[in-house]
Amino acid sequence: MKLWRLPVEPVHLFGLVRSHAEWASVRQATISANIANADTPGFKAKDIEPFAAALDKTRLTMAATRPGHIGVEATALGTSEAGKAESWDITHSGNSVSMDQELAKAAEVQRVYSLDTSIARSFHRMFLTSVRTSG
Amino acid sequence: MIDALAAVSRLAGAGMEAQSARLRIVAENIANARSTGSVEGADPYQRKTILFDARFDDALGAESVKVKGIVTDDSPFLVEHDPGHPAADQDGNVKLPNVNMLVEMADLREASRSYEANLQMIKQARSMISMTIDLLRSS
Repeated sequence: MKLWRLPVEPVHLFGLVRSHAEWASVRQATISANIANADTPGFKAKDIEPFAAALDKTRLTMAATRPGHIGVEATALGTSEAGKAESWDITHSGNSVSMDQELAKAAEVQRVYSLDTSIARSFHRMFLTSVRTSG
Repeated sequence: MIDALAAVSRLAGAGMEAQSARLRIVAENIANARSTGSVEGADPYQRKTILFDARFDDALGAESVKVKGIVTDDSPFLVEHDPGHPAADQDGNVKLPNVNMLVEMADLREASRSYEANLQMIKQARSMISMTIDLLRSS
């Protein structure tokens, strides 16, 4: 039994939880922008790409070799406009923000974020258990 | 680009600002629902409406909202027969503002609902930040 090899795998979990929490925060910001523009004529509701799609993509970032170079944001996730199929209702002015839908999405974000922090906490506790001296 | 959760507060704040401006216009219309002119045949108070516009904010990385402008409603005025009124014309007709109380009340309710939704976003972002900070707490 090679037990010392085990800790390598759970460490990756922290990275996964971190990126998922980051994804949830960006989604929350997108939902917030939709709600702020709930009464703007012609505004199209937006949503970010699903986490699985964001995770699958290999992101090539440009190296900043000089201080003046413009960097590419690591958190820049692809956004998509909600069309007729995705949005629950579209008003006469062409605004596709559905308040119910946005609040439902916000509740979902809250739930997954809570899950992320709980996972991080329980794994942290697990590590502490292995580090602490008994007695 | 600032932190996404900090951006939520800024975006919702912009939304709340826009909605309160809208509430102010509604209050102005209701207050002036019976404001007529003072000279013969003068035009009364004209109903005002507000225009919102989505504007991409580079710092937030999302579309914020701002008040584009306040315009007047050009729909015809109401006319009432009241020969004794100072603003009455030769036929004794007085022009009253084109303010419909029912429309104003509906607008008021909608603005109030949108304001609440924006406030809810701020509350939720705050709770998400607290969850993150709570990770530091020793369990």
